[in-house]
Amino acid sequence: MERIRITEYLDLDLDDEIWRCHNCDHRLGSAEANYKESCLVHARDPREIHPPLIEGEFTFAPDPNWVRIVEFYCAGCGTQVETEYLPPGHPITHDIQLDVGSLRRRLESGELVVREGRLAAGGNE
Amino acid sequence: MGFQRTNDIVDEALEVFQRSCRSSMGIAGDVMVALFTADGDLVNAAAGTYLHAIIQPIIVKFIRKHYARNPGIAEGDIWCANDALYGGIHNPDVVCLVPIFHEGMLIAWAGAANHTTETGAIEPGGMPVSASSRFEEGLNLPPVKIGQGGEIREDWLEVFGAYGIRAPQMVVTDLKARATAADRVRTRIVELADKEGRDWVVGLMRKMMLVAEEGARRRIASWPDGKFRCVTFSDALGTQQGLVRSAYLTLEKTGDRLLFDFTGTSPENTSSYHAHVQSTVGHVANYVYSNVFYDLPISSATFAPMDFKIPRGTVLNPDDRAATSNAVMVCTGVMSATPNVFAKLMFSSQEDWRRVVASASNAGNAMVIAGLSQWGLPFADMIAYSINTEGQGGRPTMNGMDSFGFPWCPFGRAPDVELMENEFPILIPISQHWPDSCGHGKHRGGVGTVQVWVAHQAPMVFFMAIADNSKIQTPQPLFGGYAPCTVPGLSVRSADFVRRLPETGVGMDFRTLVDQANVPGQWVNEFNGRVVRPYGEGDVITFGFSAGGAGYGDPLEADPEAVTEDIRQGKVSAETAARVYRVAYDAERQLPLLEETERLRQQERRSRLSRGRPYAEFAAEWAGLKPSDEILVNYGSWPEAKALQPVIRM
Repeated sequence: MERIRITEYLDLDLDDEIWRCHNCDHRLGSAEANYKESCLVHARDPREIHPPLIEGEFTFAPDPNWVRIVEFYCAGCGTQVETEYLPPGHPITHDIQLDVGSLRRRLESGELVVREGRLAAGGNE
Repeated sequence: MGFQRTNDIVDEALEVFQRSCRSSMGIAGDVMVALFTADGDLVNAAAGTYLHAIIQPIIVKFIRKHYARNPGIAEGDIWCANDALYGGIHNPDVVCLVPIFHEGMLIAWAGAANHTTETGAIEPGGMPVSASSRFEEGLNLPPVKIGQGGEIREDWLEVFGAYGIRAPQMVVTDLKARATAADRVRTRIVELADKEGRDWVVGLMRKMMLVAEEGARRRIASWPDGKFRCVTFSDALGTQQGLVRSAYLTLEKTGDRLLFDFTGTSPENTSSYHAHVQSTVGHVANYVYSNVFYDLPISSATFAPMDFKIPRGTVLNPDDRAATSNAVMVCTGVMSATPNVFAKLMFSSQEDWRRVVASASNAGNAMVIAGLSQWGLPFADMIAYSINTEGQGGRPTMNGMDSFGFPWCPFGRAPDVELMENEFPILIPISQHWPDSCGHGKHRGGVGTVQVWVAHQAPMVFFMAIADNSKIQTPQPLFGGYAPCTVPGLSVRSADFVRRLPETGVGMDFRTLVDQANVPGQWVNEFNGRVVRPYGEGDVITFGFSAGGAGYGDPLEADPEAVTEDIRQGKVSAETAARVYRVAYDAERQLPLLEETERLRQQERRSRLSRGRPYAEFAAEWAGLKPSDEILVNYGSWPEAKALQPVIRM
């Protein structure tokens, strides 16, 4: 089966049932798991991206006591696969939890086909 | 042809509506005109604001169920409601509904709704930030018959005038505008029934419902099954700062159905930052109607395949006594989470991936001014510019639109500065794009705008700001982009701005003004949400900011030429281009240095591999962090956001 592009930087490899980086093909863990667990992770002080413009308590920069930017990098090529703005210590979101079995069955039945790396109606519904 | 005929009818009525409104929001387009079946199901609408679309059927069905015998439903009736307990969004949003009879038979309903910025609440502007229960929100009107024989009753006009005493001409004129717009739909539908036959009109409406539901189901079924999640936060309830988990959304897609599950959203509180369930659904509808099902009739049937789970006791489903006048503010989380989960659901679709979009800014920096105008008229209004010029989120193939509009109202438009200065005692010396206000990314979000509002031609102007996002921004970015920056509340007292301006030669540029603080006077830097306070002649009441949209994709993949063009246009600073986009830039020739840019980007990718840590190692340390208890005062339990104590309202 072909790869299916799930996000800008995430491909679903149905043969091996794993996530892969769209840019470099690096393996990013089981398709049943959270791809973020196979990324390199860095929590950034938001002021590095949104620098203070003025002095005082409110500066145009998010407050690092309230929020950090959690960045997820592909360990193969360093692409920034995803980011989350989270309060310090807040659980990381399992944002994409595909029903891989359902997708496989729909492709095998012809209900869906893969066209140019994406899903399309197969005319066999 | 029949479908298009209903489009023409509601579009015509929408134009009549906007031209008849008096409030800034109405003129700007925060309006909706709708056509319903005789049973009250939405068939088609023109917007304006899709927000209103999903809720009005509830009100029509209530009228049909409870009032059919007493006071009865008759030709020429005008019905009205604004109480969120009976199906509204929040009480500034008022709807008028008229039954459509043809040769004595009820065949349809027409509705017109808009946001009028005064309700007689404990603060001006219709969205009191200090209201602690519904009893402090001013007019909350269940569905009532306010007119007969095609005319609004004088006693009801008096009721609206009394609750709108801060701005009676606006409140009463907007009410008449609603009735006028709804009646225009009624007139045209009756003409259509005369021409094509009553059965043809009724059948057309039924057909439109079937097409909408079938189209929605087919599109949903084409996507992969699974669960898609997004969590968002806000930083205040009114002027009380504190973290709120404003939406914890799990979108579960199975077959041709969708379940929106908001379990995990923060508990209710004693502020006005709540939304009743239909209001929460309305904020989902904003995105769904304008992006996902943009090509289907704006119909109740579009929502037939969708279910909602919104736990009681959360900010998105509070007790009946809760104040909900700031429903639209707490629902910034719903509006930000919804496009994010749909992006992750739809991006794999060959047909739909181009319509994926990162969250708009959804800031809703609602600035209210009140007092006596330079014309001697009482006024209390929300200035539409700072909400109708927000930035759109980045898209798979291009940046988000700059100052695209009002996320609650995709077809809204910014008012002309001349109109604002004519209506209100303010001078607006600058209106411009706000550099670096966007979320950065491969395709950045659209930038917002900034204006400076100076009190002028009146001894005193009262001001309040219904706003937040000074500590954090609510939108989550998409696919490796960044969120927009935060927004402070900035003003300058004793500025004597108008008189001093020629003397000081202050540059009419936002960054010059802010960087050098070179407006004379007392600069005040505070939280963006502000309680009512007076300003005198020449004071800078506020810098009026609209925020930018969230970024899409890794900024290191942004086209260096496009980033350079943004520098030239003042939308992205050279400093940001270097720090975030890693674009090397020849300032003299205003050109990108492509080889050096590629070298810098490779260097940054290597830095990421160096500083990034394996997930398990990161998670072990991360789990030990927690914001201070002071920050978590309105959050609920950490990190689950469950209620810690009951909320008592008198």
